[in-house]
Amino acid sequence: MQETVQHQELPAASAVPRKRGRAIVITSGKGGVGKTTTTANTGAALAATGASVVLVDADVGLRNLDLVMGLEARVRHHVLDVLEGVATLDDALVTDKRVPTLRLLAAAQTREKDDVDTAAFSDLISSLRDRFDYVLIDCPAGIEKGFTNAIAGADEAIIVCTPEVSAVRDADRVVGLLGDGRTVKLVVNRLRPDLVRRGKMLSVEDVNGILRLPLLGVIADAPGVIVSTNRGEPVALDAASPVGESYRQIAQRIIGTLATAPEIPRERSFFEKLFGSLR
Amino acid sequence: MSARRIVLTSGKGGVGKTTTTANLGAVLAKRGHRVILVDADIGLRNLDLVLGIEKRIVFDLVEVVEGRCQVRQALIKDKRLENLSILPAAQTRDKTAVSELQFAKLIEQLGEMCDYVLIDCPAGIEHGFRNAIAGASEAIVVTTPEVSAIRDADRVIGKLHERGLPLRLIVNRLRPEMVRSGDMLSVDDVTDILSAELLGIIPDDEEVIDTTNRGEPIVLQSESRLAVIYDKIARRLEGDLVPFTTFSAPGFFARIFGKAS
Repeated sequence: MQETVQHQELPAASAVPRKRGRAIVITSGKGGVGKTTTTANTGAALAATGASVVLVDADVGLRNLDLVMGLEARVRHHVLDVLEGVATLDDALVTDKRVPTLRLLAAAQTREKDDVDTAAFSDLISSLRDRFDYVLIDCPAGIEKGFTNAIAGADEAIIVCTPEVSAVRDADRVVGLLGDGRTVKLVVNRLRPDLVRRGKMLSVEDVNGILRLPLLGVIADAPGVIVSTNRGEPVALDAASPVGESYRQIAQRIIGTLATAPEIPRERSFFEKLFGSLR
Repeated sequence: MSARRIVLTSGKGGVGKTTTTANLGAVLAKRGHRVILVDADIGLRNLDLVLGIEKRIVFDLVEVVEGRCQVRQALIKDKRLENLSILPAAQTRDKTAVSELQFAKLIEQLGEMCDYVLIDCPAGIEHGFRNAIAGASEAIVVTTPEVSAIRDADRVIGKLHERGLPLRLIVNRLRPEMVRSGDMLSVDDVTDILSAELLGIIPDDEEVIDTTNRGEPIVLQSESRLAVIYDKIARRLEGDLVPFTTFSAPGFFARIFGKAS
């Protein structure tokens, strides 16, 4: 029998005043460090706690969040359709296949970032905050118009950084551009404890010695993430995955239900590696 | 003017444009060509770090374009390879500081000074991308065997076709064992989807992280397998027909001992 997800009603914009949701932009400067993966997994983990969450893909022209969520076939309308009045917000929001309180607002694929008006985008984020507990904005790489649009409506930011000199430099630049008006926290992604031990990779301390941000999470490098990304199944929903657990803890820290500092992924023991190899 | 002006682009960030630019440039210089590398990522430059020349920057690309210095003053000669020079991007300006026309003129001028101009394109398809491709005569599209990278590459290839730029493909960070277990797309999958001619296949190698952090292109270690692979890519660029290495996944024992060591 096929499993179906009940479409859960979300409060409409006209509903009784409720606490406004939080708008968090996930950004990095450098591309390919895991912004989209972090957005998808953090969003899925937040929504799995019962919170209402909308993921907004701000990468107009190079969208990928729909792929990572496995929702690409269900996208009918995108952000620009909403901004230009071609579609309503409800038409454009795609409900996740697995978590009923999770929605995706896809980016336009065949348009340019210059087509998006920064103020209008910011207004859209603001109206989403009236309907959702969390609005996560997946920022494009770089610091051009797409970046300006993505950060416009957010009052919090998560910087995703890999333990690489170039990623740290770009992240540092972005922290400067975000200014003092936003709460900025750090996720160190794709850490390889074995390389750190051998002095071949920067440690979390090295990275944050430069960036000096509150640490929200540390994610280990795992081939499973590539697989889950390619398949469109966020690893955060896999109860058995250690990386998934790291994302679930990030969600709990965002909500405020977990006060402990992030654990730094440790090296696997000889037997764990041997077992892993035989899998 | 006979220089080849090649832009390295990808759409998606973090797939290895800068690393590929640095290594391909180094290997072409090693083979006797005069090479100039141009960092087109104004505001988020990194090519200088990857080549370890960041402390030697005096002038940058924007200052050249604005006429505040001569091209030769801004070019930094590599200390290891005398044929290799780098034109760094400005770090504290943004991409709109240079127009497409200015960028194209700059590349033309650089082309008169060398055999190969390699342009390191920023991620995305915004102004920085349009600048980076403006002066190029051909393109190398770098992608990884991931669905999102391929989708972005496809979009970029469309834009390159619009410009009439000939292009070839480098598939970066291939993990043969994941291809074999069905967890990663194969090179054939990638070239089929993108229907583009293949220029090179580069396996994932953890040494690259370290050499990149240290500012030492891995091709300078001639015992590295990647040095051999980049050398073949350079020969293909020169026009040689060099067969592609097929990467077989390491065997059972190699995997155990490789991981346990």
